[in-house]
Amino acid sequence: MTTAPDAETDTPIETGGYAAFHRFRPIGGPIDGPIGGRVVVTSIEGEWIVLEAAEYSAYAQGRVDPSSALHQRLVDRNLVRAHFDARRAALGYRRRKRFIHSGPNLHIVVVTLRCNETCVYCHASRADLDAVHTDMTIETAERTVDMILRTTSPHVTIEFQGGEPLVNFPVVQHIVAYATERNRGLGKQLEFTMVSNLSLMDETKLQWLLAHRVQLCTSIDGPKALHDKQRKLPTLSAYDAALPWIARINEAYREAGLDPTLYHVEALLTTTRETLERWREVVDTYVALGCRALFLRPVDPFGFAEKTRRIVEYPREDYLAYYRNALDYIIELNLQGVEILERYAAIFLTKILTGDDPNFLDIRSPGGAGIGQLAYNYDGTIYSSDEGRMLGAAGDPTFVIGDVHTGRYRDIVAHPTIRAMAIASNLEGQPDCVDCPYVPYCGTQPEHNHKTLGTMMGRMRESSMCAVHKGIQDILFEKLATADAPTLEILRRWTTIRAREHFLQDTPAP
Amino acid sequence: MSESLLGMPPGRVEADIGEAAVTLTVPGAVYPLPAVYAAAYCFIARCYVLVDRDGEDLRVVLTAKDPAGIHGGAQGLRALVGEFANELLASAWRREITRQNRGLIESVTMQAFGAAMGPPSLDDLEAFDFSDEPFDDPLGIAQSWEDKYRKPKPAGSEPGPEGGEEQGGA
Amino acid sequence: MILRFHREVYAGTAIDAALGRFAALASTRFDRSEDGDYFVVEVTAKTEARSRRVALELGNFALGLTIEQGGPDR
Repeated sequence: MTTAPDAETDTPIETGGYAAFHRFRPIGGPIDGPIGGRVVVTSIEGEWIVLEAAEYSAYAQGRVDPSSALHQRLVDRNLVRAHFDARRAALGYRRRKRFIHSGPNLHIVVVTLRCNETCVYCHASRADLDAVHTDMTIETAERTVDMILRTTSPHVTIEFQGGEPLVNFPVVQHIVAYATERNRGLGKQLEFTMVSNLSLMDETKLQWLLAHRVQLCTSIDGPKALHDKQRKLPTLSAYDAALPWIARINEAYREAGLDPTLYHVEALLTTTRETLERWREVVDTYVALGCRALFLRPVDPFGFAEKTRRIVEYPREDYLAYYRNALDYIIELNLQGVEILERYAAIFLTKILTGDDPNFLDIRSPGGAGIGQLAYNYDGTIYSSDEGRMLGAAGDPTFVIGDVHTGRYRDIVAHPTIRAMAIASNLEGQPDCVDCPYVPYCGTQPEHNHKTLGTMMGRMRESSMCAVHKGIQDILFEKLATADAPTLEILRRWTTIRAREHFLQDTPAP
Repeated sequence: MSESLLGMPPGRVEADIGEAAVTLTVPGAVYPLPAVYAAAYCFIARCYVLVDRDGEDLRVVLTAKDPAGIHGGAQGLRALVGEFANELLASAWRREITRQNRGLIESVTMQAFGAAMGPPSLDDLEAFDFSDEPFDDPLGIAQSWEDKYRKPKPAGSEPGPEGGEEQGGA
Repeated sequence: MILRFHREVYAGTAIDAALGRFAALASTRFDRSEDGDYFVVEVTAKTEARSRRVALELGNFALGLTIEQGGPDR
């Protein structure tokens, strides 16, 4: 017999074990607050419901009337013990974890450390334009591709990064050609992407990249004044250098007959302290650029120096206030017909509303380090991720797991460090997470924990990443519980994943 | 000179501000030794860590390697103690969670690595050490049925042709 | 400086391994003994400050090796 104290008399009452296993969390502030204090309840497989406080109390005490609508809602979500469908739970759990059935699909290749921009929050691994020794050689590039194509994943994305990858364009070209040729015998779904500041783009390079279907992604930190303050070119405005190319690339996609709602330059944002008050301008800038997505990323801890950190960093409560304001504004624009989504929201909502996992490598359990992604430095050193590489550049070799010249693929992905990271990022073994209802949707990053908290495991209550993830999900569940139908439809639409097949390389099956 | 730190339980936490050192008495009934190890290991980069037994309890001495890095004297030591205590709690709790969820964690991890590694290639098999060197076999999997289950010989008996007890003969 | 390592916390093999690594330190003597429940190591260097520093580093090394091997010797 299970008992719980009666809420009014405090005497034990028999609950009969009404509630199936679940996790819960109050959201929306105090019970008498504007949203009236609600409770998020999730099951082990990620089914969810948001209850009023009194409803949750009745649920926990086993006092729900079996003939009531509440009872049926709970049964429908597999939250009532007497009606618990174990097979359904197992299938749901398995579906959420299906990314573990294949190996690393994202391969970040740093073709050079040289960069013509100096960004205030940039990691310590950039080098000046005369540091040609930090260019990846052709031989290292080929060994890198050989290693990449050993992955067990049927889908491979090679992402060119730097420094500024356009600085070493010949190696980019060689990698695309070599990988495409090597893949002919393997038949993997191969894609290329490039993260570039676009300031070194020219029409010749662009035509080559378009012809070879390399997706282009850039960074825009907001309106021009903010962007240029944070991303400095020696003699030009970084914003003015990037904008024409964003427009030109989008125009080229239209000329090629591609759907502009699907094919356009993606831009990334890094939120610094200066950004926090300017959320409206940031969103307006992205809308004006024709972007369909905005990723309100907080600044990461892998930056330049302690003195820089003191300039750009901020408490995560401030970030969450900024996020809420920006999200509300984005939704408001969507209601007016402007199509733009927020990327964090889209990732979490896909997990919450569809039961599927978009495999965003930093928000999954276990995390993607080594088993979902790998990073290859210009010299062939292999890291668990780009974050691991940034720490390596700052003098911390913890996340080095091999090199392309001497390493074996299976030894790389099964490296003791990767095994430790897989354990460390499995939320089922993580204090705090085990009691958190967002466990089915969330993830942590061992490199972030290592840098900020001194261990790969971390301590979630002190983790700024946890604060962000938890805070965003609190906001999303508040909206799911209280938003009107048009808003809910917008949020639902953000979970639609449309494949961009144009970027898949034409590779005949073996 | 030993003194208490503000907000820290007296008798459990003592500080020597001049030496930039703190001594914590960790109740053994609450924190098992493996949890103390886990927390201590996190600190050996920036502290000298000595662990001693004190009856059922453990005594942990943390001495800052760089006293100048402990900002604010007593305040800094207080923060050090607080961080150690938090890590100790996390380690103890994580140990219990892992014990409870071991099956789930292991199955997900094994599936992830099995899928990421894939089957060995011929080159991998060629590099594998198939030597006859003895290896740990705690479950006796490599033992034959006879070796594992045959009756033990009485003391002083000689093995017969079948390896069993000597039969009486004419 | 004298270090006392409790048998239930430190592995004797780890202490010996640590002493082996530190043995090459110039002008430093290590005297190992046992006292009931304790392994005892006395570190003597040119100065008291150096003795203390070496002893504390040795303590970390021994603790680290003990943890890496899973605890005290059985």
